[in-house]
Amino acid sequence: MKNKKLLTCVVSALMTASMLAGCGSKAPTSSSTTNKQEKVNLVFWNAYSESENKVMKEKVIPKFEADHPNIKVKSVQMPNDGLKQQVIQAISGNSSPDLMRMDIIWTPEFAKMGALTDITGLDGFSALKDGFFQGPLQTNFLEGKYYGMPLDTNTKSGIYSKKVLAQVGLTEPPKTYEELLSVAGKLNKDQYLIGCDGASPWSLNPYFLSFGGKITDEKNTVATGYLNSQASIDALTKLVGLYDKKILGPCLLGGKPDKWGGVTTDKYLMIDDGPWFFTGEKPEQTATVVSATLPTGVAGSISVVGGENVVMFKNAKHPKETWEFAKFLVSDFSQTTMEVEAANIPTVQAVANSPAVLAVPNVKTYIEQLKTASPRTPSANWEKINDKISIEWESAFRHKKTPIQALNDACKAVDPLLQ
Amino acid sequence: MTEVNRNKVKKKSIKKRLNKGTKQWLEVLPFIGIGIILFSVLVLFPQIKNLYMAITDYSIMPGHVNTFVGLINFKKALFGFSVPGSDSYFFWIAFRNNILAILVTVPGQLVLGLLVAVLINGVKYGKNIYKVLFYLAVICDWVVVSNIFNYIFQSDKAGLVNYLLIKAHLISAPIAWLQNAWTANAVIWIFCIWKGVGWVMLIYTAALQGISKDLYEAAQIDGANVFQQFFRITLPSLKNTTFFLIINLTIGAMGIFIQVFLLTQGGPIGTTDVLINYSYTRAFKYFEFGYGAAVSILTGLFVFSLSMTCKKYMRYGQEN
Repeated sequence: MKNKKLLTCVVSALMTASMLAGCGSKAPTSSSTTNKQEKVNLVFWNAYSESENKVMKEKVIPKFEADHPNIKVKSVQMPNDGLKQQVIQAISGNSSPDLMRMDIIWTPEFAKMGALTDITGLDGFSALKDGFFQGPLQTNFLEGKYYGMPLDTNTKSGIYSKKVLAQVGLTEPPKTYEELLSVAGKLNKDQYLIGCDGASPWSLNPYFLSFGGKITDEKNTVATGYLNSQASIDALTKLVGLYDKKILGPCLLGGKPDKWGGVTTDKYLMIDDGPWFFTGEKPEQTATVVSATLPTGVAGSISVVGGENVVMFKNAKHPKETWEFAKFLVSDFSQTTMEVEAANIPTVQAVANSPAVLAVPNVKTYIEQLKTASPRTPSANWEKINDKISIEWESAFRHKKTPIQALNDACKAVDPLLQ
Repeated sequence: MTEVNRNKVKKKSIKKRLNKGTKQWLEVLPFIGIGIILFSVLVLFPQIKNLYMAITDYSIMPGHVNTFVGLINFKKALFGFSVPGSDSYFFWIAFRNNILAILVTVPGQLVLGLLVAVLINGVKYGKNIYKVLFYLAVICDWVVVSNIFNYIFQSDKAGLVNYLLIKAHLISAPIAWLQNAWTANAVIWIFCIWKGVGWVMLIYTAALQGISKDLYEAAQIDGANVFQQFFRITLPSLKNTTFFLIINLTIGAMGIFIQVFLLTQGGPIGTTDVLINYSYTRAFKYFEFGYGAAVSILTGLFVFSLSMTCKKYMRYGQEN
């Protein structure tokens, strides 16, 4: 009887131990030893591509570690799909990284949630502040405080198929939309003039804004009167008309050919995309296209700003060292290296205009386009605002609503979210 | 016996019973203890936390004080359908899509599964090969197959389905499958049926083994043909299995998620959305964890009441 009891106790202890072994908490990200040489380990999350991450790991981080022998930085390349959900999980499970290269759109949301460190008063920030491009910097600003620094910026500019340009008799990319639209008749039945890949602000803004549309007022507080102004209605009506006339390609509503496939196989004359096109496509494909700024519409050539900020998480165990690395990422060395070797456009104005950066092929076009590019509304509710606007724009293209109805409904939905 | 004695005996027996009960529990605990722990941690605790999230103003930040907000999240989902574009509007569209999924995929899987099971049953050689081939669809990874379905239902004439339909002169222009509400829904339902037929077939195959051969022999002697045998013998004998399958397939249809998440993301304009995907999007994209939790609880309640109703009907059928 005693043996049986002993046996059951031992077996149950073993089973419990084996089950709980899998439930251990994540290994601490930094070793908090109290040795003389306190070695600090930082974890840096990003969604760099393979080639970008290589530059970060082999050029940028070693220089930082050489300058700071007691700090080791681990660059963790996260997948793009489901990244936001992973960040949410990490925050709620108290296992967030020390710092992250975060999309500019997410920064206000996570800042509002209280997940990011307020860096307004940190040592050295005020000196750095004025050196950034103001548009990207503003994406870090929420309720009077800054929650990150712009790390790299980008915009979408024009990418033109060389073959189709020749086919319609243009020696170089058109400067205005009038010029572009005038050659529509010279295309074949299965070719389209413009490949725009969606009815959302990120995809459609370069056209909507260039045609005179507006999303909100300058202070980003109200949409009524701007999103449904006569100019916006005209812009959307024009775009819907262009889609119906098959001047805007099928990829607008998810059809084929897609943007990249279309422009490299002579189906689209022009698409809009960022510098990642040139690192993402194979060299034989990028050789078939030429890069130039988007044509000018009635309001100008206004593209959309994208990019990433470097943010620090509040629960970082070594805030001092994390801030040191964050400052290093916006230093001249890091910004220049990431541009020259990884096509990440710098956010520090001095670096962006330096000869080394301007010498990189295609960069000039993007920096030129950035001068007039317009950021999407910085707001903690941007995901919702984006979806509300996208739904209404899509309804207009699908002729479920007239452009006026769609824009009025969009204003009604967006105004409360801007408060 | 006097009153006092009777009480003493009662108390003693309660104490004795407690002791005996505790002893029995202690003996059994090492074996079921782990199951109880796993159940509590992985099933019970999330349910309670889910309810907590639904009735408070919940934030994922550790240490945040969550204030009680009552049933506001539930009201947000259920009332207000008449306002197009409101949360309730999209909730009821998602609910409608789930109901339609039940009405299309459950009979679809049942009929096709039964047909395949009966046909395989009648085959002399290679039964197992056919069973394996049909079951392969069930064990294929959802993500992989979603990507494949994305390709074969591409909207230009080079997509496999469009190409075959055009070649067969059934359509004259390619169909934009995933870009229109009803064709996209059709693709999702075809996916569900294709994936589930193998499992239904396997269950029916097992059930068919249980039907006595004597019944068929007797019927043949009486001059019944194949169809009469099927409708008069096979189907009635499979009644219980069919009820079991209906309940399971209905629960499965209410739980559709991966296909919608990967194929259409609920688009266009929320018309192919389903409740689980809707709840997931609201929680993880918009950070509305309370609302997402409330939607998931409403879904669970609906599935539970539907299953209970089906079960009651089944028991009623059994008594008959």
